Amino acid sequence: MAPSLIGLLPFGLVCGVGAQSAGASPAEALGMSALIFSGAAQILACQLMAAKAPLAVTIVTCFVIGLRFLMYSAAMAPHMKPLPERWRHAVAFLLTDQAFAAAIRRFRDSGDTRNGASYALGTGVLLWATWQVSCTIGYWVGNVIPAAWSLEFVVPLCFLALLVPALEDGPTRIAALAAGIAVVTLDSLPMRLSLICAGLVGIVAGLIAESRRGAP
Amino acid sequence: MSASYDWWIVIVVVGLLNYLSRLSFIALFAKVEMPPLVARALRFVPAAMLMAIVVPAVVFSSPGALALSYANPKVVAALAAAAVAWYTRNAVATMTLGMVTLWVAEWMR
Repeated sequence: MAPSLIGLLPFGLVCGVGAQSAGASPAEALGMSALIFSGAAQILACQLMAAKAPLAVTIVTCFVIGLRFLMYSAAMAPHMKPLPERWRHAVAFLLTDQAFAAAIRRFRDSGDTRNGASYALGTGVLLWATWQVSCTIGYWVGNVIPAAWSLEFVVPLCFLALLVPALEDGPTRIAALAAGIAVVTLDSLPMRLSLICAGLVGIVAGLIAESRRGAP
Repeated sequence: MSASYDWWIVIVVVGLLNYLSRLSFIALFAKVEMPPLVARALRFVPAAMLMAIVVPAVVFSSPGALALSYANPKVVAALAAAAVAWYTRNAVATMTLGMVTLWVAEWMR
Protein backbone atom coordinates (compact mmCIF):
# COMPACT_ATOMS: atom_id res chain seq x y z
CA MET A 1 0.00 0.00 0.00
CA ALA A 2 2.58 2.58 1.14
CA PRO A 3 4.90 1.67 -1.76
CA SER A 4 2.09 2.41 -4.23
CA LEU A 5 1.74 5.86 -2.67
CA ILE A 6 5.49 6.50 -3.05
CA GLY A 7 5.33 5.35 -6.65
CA LEU A 8 2.40 7.67 -7.28
CA LEU A 9 4.23 10.86 -6.26
CA PRO A 10 6.63 11.21 -9.21
CA PHE A 11 3.92 9.95 -11.60
CA GLY A 12 1.53 12.67 -10.37
CA LEU A 13 4.24 15.32 -10.65
CA VAL A 14 4.80 14.35 -14.29
CA CYS A 15 1.03 14.58 -14.94
CA GLY A 16 0.79 17.99 -13.26
CA VAL A 17 3.70 19.35 -15.27
CA GLY A 18 2.08 17.92 -18.42
CA ALA A 19 -1.24 19.66 -17.71
CA GLN A 20 0.49 22.97 -17.06
CA SER A 21 2.61 22.87 -20.20
CA ALA A 22 -0.39 21.77 -22.32
CA GLY A 23 -2.14 24.99 -21.29
CA ALA A 24 -4.85 23.66 -18.94
CA SER A 25 -6.23 26.12 -16.36
CA PRO A 26 -5.84 25.24 -12.65
CA ALA A 27 -9.50 24.14 -12.51
CA GLU A 28 -9.12 22.01 -15.64
CA ALA A 29 -5.94 20.40 -14.29
CA LEU A 30 -7.67 19.54 -11.02
CA GLY A 31 -10.80 18.35 -12.84
CA MET A 32 -8.66 16.06 -14.93
CA SER A 33 -6.85 14.41 -12.02
CA ALA A 34 -10.05 14.20 -9.94
CA LEU A 35 -12.40 12.78 -12.59
CA ILE A 36 -10.17 10.91 -15.05
CA PHE A 37 -7.88 9.64 -12.24
CA SER A 38 -5.56 7.72 -14.54
CA GLY A 39 -2.00 8.85 -15.15
CA ALA A 40 -1.71 7.19 -18.55
CA ALA A 41 -4.94 8.77 -19.82
CA GLN A 42 -4.05 12.19 -18.38
CA ILE A 43 -0.62 12.24 -20.01
CA LEU A 44 -2.13 11.19 -23.35
CA ALA A 45 -4.88 13.82 -23.06
CA CYS A 46 -2.32 16.55 -22.34
CA GLN A 47 -0.10 15.51 -25.25
CA LEU A 48 -3.03 15.41 -27.68
CA MET A 49 -4.56 18.69 -26.44
CA ALA A 50 -1.16 20.39 -26.74
CA ALA A 51 -0.88 19.01 -30.29
CA LYS A 52 -4.36 20.41 -31.06
CA ALA A 53 -5.65 16.94 -32.03
CA PRO A 54 -9.40 16.67 -32.78
CA LEU A 55 -11.39 16.16 -29.58
CA ALA A 56 -12.79 12.84 -30.82
CA VAL A 57 -9.25 11.49 -31.34
CA THR A 58 -8.25 12.58 -27.84
CA ILE A 59 -11.33 11.00 -26.29
CA VAL A 60 -11.07 7.70 -28.19
CA THR A 61 -7.34 7.37 -27.46
CA CYS A 62 -7.88 7.95 -23.74
CA PHE A 63 -10.76 5.47 -23.79
CA VAL A 64 -8.63 2.80 -25.47
CA ILE A 65 -5.83 3.15 -22.91
CA GLY A 66 -8.54 2.73 -20.24
CA LEU A 67 -9.84 -0.55 -21.70
CA ARG A 68 -7.66 -2.45 -19.23
CA PHE A 69 -10.17 -1.32 -16.58
CA LEU A 70 -12.64 -3.76 -18.17
CA MET A 71 -10.34 -6.62 -17.19
CA TYR A 72 -9.74 -5.23 -13.70
CA SER A 73 -13.49 -4.82 -13.29
CA ALA A 74 -14.11 -8.43 -14.30
CA ALA A 75 -11.39 -9.70 -11.94
CA MET A 76 -12.85 -7.67 -9.05
CA ALA A 77 -16.45 -8.67 -9.83
CA PRO A 78 -16.66 -12.00 -7.92
CA HIS A 79 -15.35 -10.28 -4.77
CA MET A 80 -17.70 -7.29 -5.13
CA LYS A 81 -20.88 -9.29 -5.65
CA PRO A 82 -21.95 -9.64 -2.00
CA LEU A 83 -21.49 -5.91 -1.31
CA PRO A 84 -24.10 -3.13 -1.34
CA GLU A 85 -24.43 -1.33 -4.65
CA ARG A 86 -22.98 1.99 -3.46
CA TRP A 87 -19.80 0.19 -2.35
CA ARG A 88 -19.46 -1.35 -5.77
CA HIS A 89 -19.82 2.07 -7.41
CA ALA A 90 -17.27 3.65 -5.06
CA VAL A 91 -14.69 0.89 -5.55
CA ALA A 92 -15.26 1.07 -9.33
CA PHE A 93 -14.65 4.83 -9.43
CA LEU A 94 -11.41 4.40 -7.48
CA LEU A 95 -10.15 1.40 -9.50
CA THR A 96 -6.62 2.02 -10.79
CA ASP A 97 -3.68 -0.22 -11.70
CA GLN A 98 -2.23 0.14 -8.20
CA ALA A 99 -5.53 -0.23 -6.33
CA PHE A 100 -6.43 -3.29 -8.41
CA ALA A 101 -3.11 -5.05 -7.85
CA ALA A 102 -3.19 -4.37 -4.11
CA ALA A 103 -6.87 -5.23 -3.62
CA ILE A 104 -6.88 -8.45 -5.66
CA ARG A 105 -4.03 -9.77 -3.51
CA ARG A 106 -5.88 -8.85 -0.34
CA PHE A 107 -9.07 -10.58 -1.53
CA ARG A 108 -7.11 -13.72 -2.35
CA ASP A 109 -5.07 -13.73 0.86
CA SER A 110 -7.83 -12.89 3.33
CA GLY A 111 -10.74 -14.68 1.65
CA ASP A 112 -12.97 -12.29 3.60
CA THR A 113 -15.12 -10.06 1.36
CA ARG A 114 -15.74 -7.35 3.97
CA ASN A 115 -12.08 -7.11 4.86
CA GLY A 116 -11.04 -7.05 1.21
CA ALA A 117 -13.66 -4.48 0.24
CA SER A 118 -12.73 -2.15 3.11
CA TYR A 119 -9.13 -2.46 2.04
CA ALA A 120 -9.99 -1.75 -1.62
CA LEU A 121 -12.02 1.31 -0.67
CA GLY A 122 -9.44 2.64 1.79
CA THR A 123 -6.63 2.08 -0.69
CA GLY A 124 -8.62 3.80 -3.42
CA VAL A 125 -9.37 6.88 -1.31
CA LEU A 126 -5.74 7.22 -0.19
CA LEU A 127 -4.45 6.81 -3.74
CA TRP A 128 -7.00 9.34 -5.02
CA ALA A 129 -6.05 11.93 -2.39
CA THR A 130 -2.33 11.41 -2.98
CA TRP A 131 -2.93 11.72 -6.71
CA GLN A 132 -4.66 15.12 -6.32
CA VAL A 133 -1.83 16.43 -4.14
CA SER A 134 0.99 15.27 -6.40
CA CYS A 135 -0.71 16.46 -9.61
CA THR A 136 -1.35 19.86 -8.00
CA ILE A 137 2.28 20.18 -6.87
CA GLY A 138 3.38 19.28 -10.39
CA TYR A 139 1.05 21.88 -11.88
CA TRP A 140 2.07 24.77 -9.61
CA VAL A 141 5.67 24.06 -8.75
CA GLY A 142 6.73 22.24 -11.90
CA ASN A 143 9.02 19.29 -11.71
CA VAL A 144 10.71 19.83 -8.35
CA ILE A 145 12.87 16.77 -8.94
CA PRO A 146 15.78 17.16 -11.40
CA ALA A 147 15.10 15.27 -14.65
CA ALA A 148 18.57 13.67 -14.44
CA TRP A 149 17.38 11.64 -11.43
CA SER A 150 14.93 9.77 -13.73
CA LEU A 151 12.53 9.50 -10.81
CA GLU A 152 9.65 8.64 -13.12
CA PHE A 153 11.28 5.18 -13.31
CA VAL A 154 9.81 4.55 -9.85
CA VAL A 155 6.48 3.99 -11.64
CA PRO A 156 7.46 0.80 -13.56
CA LEU A 157 9.47 -0.36 -10.52
CA CYS A 158 6.33 -0.08 -8.41
CA PHE A 159 4.40 -2.15 -10.96
CA LEU A 160 7.27 -4.65 -11.02
CA ALA A 161 6.97 -5.06 -7.24
CA LEU A 162 3.26 -5.77 -7.74
CA LEU A 163 3.90 -8.10 -10.69
CA VAL A 164 6.37 -10.52 -9.08
CA PRO A 165 4.00 -11.89 -6.39
CA ALA A 166 1.39 -12.43 -9.15
CA LEU A 167 3.75 -14.95 -10.83
CA GLU A 168 2.52 -17.68 -8.53
CA ASP A 169 2.81 -20.77 -10.75
CA GLY A 170 3.71 -22.00 -14.26
CA PRO A 171 0.61 -20.78 -16.11
CA THR A 172 0.74 -17.27 -14.59
CA ARG A 173 4.42 -17.02 -15.56
CA ILE A 174 3.62 -18.07 -19.11
CA ALA A 175 0.81 -15.49 -19.18
CA ALA A 176 3.27 -12.77 -18.13
CA LEU A 177 5.95 -13.90 -20.57
CA ALA A 178 3.50 -13.95 -23.48
CA ALA A 179 2.15 -10.51 -22.55
CA GLY A 180 5.69 -9.11 -22.33
CA ILE A 181 6.63 -10.42 -25.78
CA ALA A 182 3.32 -9.31 -27.27
CA VAL A 183 3.51 -5.74 -25.95
CA VAL A 184 6.89 -5.23 -27.66
CA THR A 185 5.85 -6.99 -30.87
CA LEU A 186 2.61 -4.98 -31.13
CA ASP A 187 4.19 -1.66 -30.17
CA SER A 188 3.47 -0.08 -33.56
CA LEU A 189 -0.32 -0.44 -33.16
CA PRO A 190 -2.09 2.94 -33.00
CA MET A 191 -3.60 4.45 -29.84
CA ARG A 192 -1.50 2.21 -27.59
CA LEU A 193 -3.75 -0.72 -28.41
CA SER A 194 -0.65 -2.84 -27.75
CA LEU A 195 -1.37 -2.68 -24.01
CA ILE A 196 -4.84 -4.21 -24.04
CA CYS A 197 -3.95 -6.66 -26.86
CA ALA A 198 -0.88 -7.88 -24.98
CA GLY A 199 -3.01 -8.37 -21.88
CA LEU A 200 -5.44 -10.54 -23.87
CA VAL A 201 -2.59 -12.53 -25.45
CA GLY A 202 -1.18 -13.17 -21.97
CA ILE A 203 -4.53 -14.33 -20.60
CA VAL A 204 -5.09 -16.73 -23.53
CA ALA A 205 -1.54 -18.08 -23.14
CA GLY A 206 -2.17 -18.63 -19.43
CA LEU A 207 -5.42 -20.49 -20.13
CA ILE A 208 -3.75 -22.73 -22.70
CA ALA A 209 -0.83 -23.48 -20.36
CA GLU A 210 -3.26 -24.33 -17.57
CA SER A 211 -5.39 -26.68 -19.68
CA ARG A 212 -2.28 -28.46 -20.99
CA ARG A 213 -1.00 -28.94 -17.50
CA GLY A 214 -4.38 -30.23 -16.41
CA ALA A 215 -4.58 -32.71 -19.31
CA PRO A 216 -3.55 -36.33 -18.62
CA MET B 1 -15.38 30.56 -27.26
CA SER B 2 -15.83 26.91 -28.10
CA ALA B 3 -12.09 26.26 -27.61
CA SER B 4 -12.36 27.17 -23.95
CA TYR B 5 -14.72 24.24 -23.31
CA ASP B 6 -12.47 21.70 -25.04
CA TRP B 7 -10.68 20.64 -21.86
CA TRP B 8 -13.92 20.17 -19.96
CA ILE B 9 -15.45 18.10 -22.76
CA VAL B 10 -12.42 15.80 -22.68
CA ILE B 11 -12.37 15.68 -18.86
CA VAL B 12 -16.07 14.84 -18.47
CA VAL B 13 -16.35 12.39 -21.40
CA VAL B 14 -13.11 10.53 -20.65
CA GLY B 15 -13.91 10.59 -16.92
CA LEU B 16 -17.32 9.08 -17.63
CA LEU B 17 -15.97 6.47 -20.09
CA ASN B 18 -13.25 5.48 -17.62
CA TYR B 19 -15.83 5.16 -14.85
CA LEU B 20 -18.09 2.99 -17.03
CA SER B 21 -15.11 0.78 -17.95
CA ARG B 22 -14.24 0.42 -14.28
CA LEU B 23 -17.83 -0.37 -13.31
CA SER B 24 -18.70 -2.57 -16.32
CA PHE B 25 -18.16 -6.14 -15.13
CA ILE B 26 -18.48 -5.33 -11.44
CA ALA B 27 -22.07 -4.26 -12.22
CA LEU B 28 -22.75 -7.00 -14.79
CA PHE B 29 -21.54 -9.97 -12.76
CA ALA B 30 -23.45 -8.73 -9.73
CA LYS B 31 -26.61 -9.67 -11.68
CA VAL B 32 -25.50 -12.32 -14.18
CA GLU B 33 -23.64 -15.57 -13.45
CA MET B 34 -20.05 -15.45 -14.68
CA PRO B 35 -19.23 -17.95 -17.46
CA PRO B 36 -16.72 -20.57 -16.19
CA LEU B 37 -14.15 -19.71 -18.88
CA VAL B 38 -14.16 -16.04 -17.84
CA ALA B 39 -13.78 -17.06 -14.20
CA ARG B 40 -10.74 -19.17 -15.11
CA ALA B 41 -9.25 -16.40 -17.26
CA LEU B 42 -9.43 -13.78 -14.51
CA ARG B 43 -6.60 -15.17 -12.47
CA PHE B 44 -4.20 -14.26 -15.29
CA VAL B 45 -5.20 -10.58 -15.38
CA PRO B 46 -2.66 -9.27 -12.82
CA ALA B 47 0.33 -11.16 -14.29
CA ALA B 48 -0.48 -10.33 -17.94
CA MET B 49 -1.49 -6.68 -17.51
CA LEU B 50 1.26 -5.70 -15.07
CA MET B 51 3.87 -7.24 -17.38
CA ALA B 52 2.36 -5.38 -20.36
CA ILE B 53 2.65 -2.11 -18.38
CA VAL B 54 6.19 -2.70 -17.08
CA VAL B 55 7.95 -3.97 -20.21
CA PRO B 56 7.52 -0.91 -22.51
CA ALA B 57 8.70 1.42 -19.72
CA VAL B 58 11.90 -0.61 -19.46
CA VAL B 59 12.90 -1.80 -22.93
CA PHE B 60 12.23 1.34 -24.99
CA SER B 61 14.90 4.03 -24.72
CA SER B 62 12.55 6.46 -26.50
CA PRO B 63 9.09 5.84 -28.06
CA GLY B 64 9.45 3.14 -30.73
CA ALA B 65 13.21 2.62 -30.13
CA LEU B 66 13.70 -0.87 -28.71
CA ALA B 67 16.82 -1.07 -26.51
CA LEU B 68 16.72 -4.56 -25.04
CA SER B 69 20.35 -4.91 -23.96
CA TYR B 70 22.62 -4.47 -20.95
CA ALA B 71 23.69 -1.11 -22.44
CA ASN B 72 20.25 0.21 -21.44
CA PRO B 73 20.49 1.21 -17.74
CA LYS B 74 16.74 0.69 -17.33
CA VAL B 75 17.07 -2.99 -18.32
CA VAL B 76 19.86 -3.51 -15.78
CA ALA B 77 17.89 -1.69 -13.07
CA ALA B 78 14.68 -3.62 -13.80
CA LEU B 79 16.52 -6.99 -13.65
CA ALA B 80 18.09 -6.04 -10.31
CA ALA B 81 14.74 -4.85 -8.99
CA ALA B 82 13.01 -8.03 -10.21
CA ALA B 83 15.59 -10.14 -8.32
CA VAL B 84 14.98 -8.12 -5.15
CA ALA B 85 11.20 -8.43 -5.57
CA TRP B 86 11.51 -12.18 -6.12
CA TYR B 87 13.63 -12.87 -3.03
CA THR B 88 12.30 -10.28 -0.57
CA ARG B 89 8.69 -9.58 -1.73
CA ASN B 90 9.41 -6.11 -0.35
CA ALA B 91 8.17 -3.27 -2.56
CA VAL B 92 10.17 -0.49 -0.89
CA ALA B 93 13.39 -2.51 -1.20
CA THR B 94 12.52 -3.25 -4.84
CA MET B 95 11.97 0.41 -5.71
CA THR B 96 15.01 1.62 -3.73
CA LEU B 97 17.45 -0.89 -5.16
CA GLY B 98 16.02 -0.42 -8.65
CA MET B 99 16.59 3.34 -8.51
CA VAL B 100 20.10 3.01 -7.05
CA THR B 101 20.99 0.48 -9.77
CA LEU B 102 19.62 2.85 -12.41
CA TRP B 103 21.72 5.74 -11.15
CA VAL B 104 24.88 3.60 -10.94
CA ALA B 105 24.31 2.14 -14.42
CA GLU B 106 23.70 5.60 -15.91
CA TRP B 107 26.78 6.98 -14.16
CA MET B 108 28.96 4.11 -15.45
CA ARG B 109 27.73 4.44 -19.00
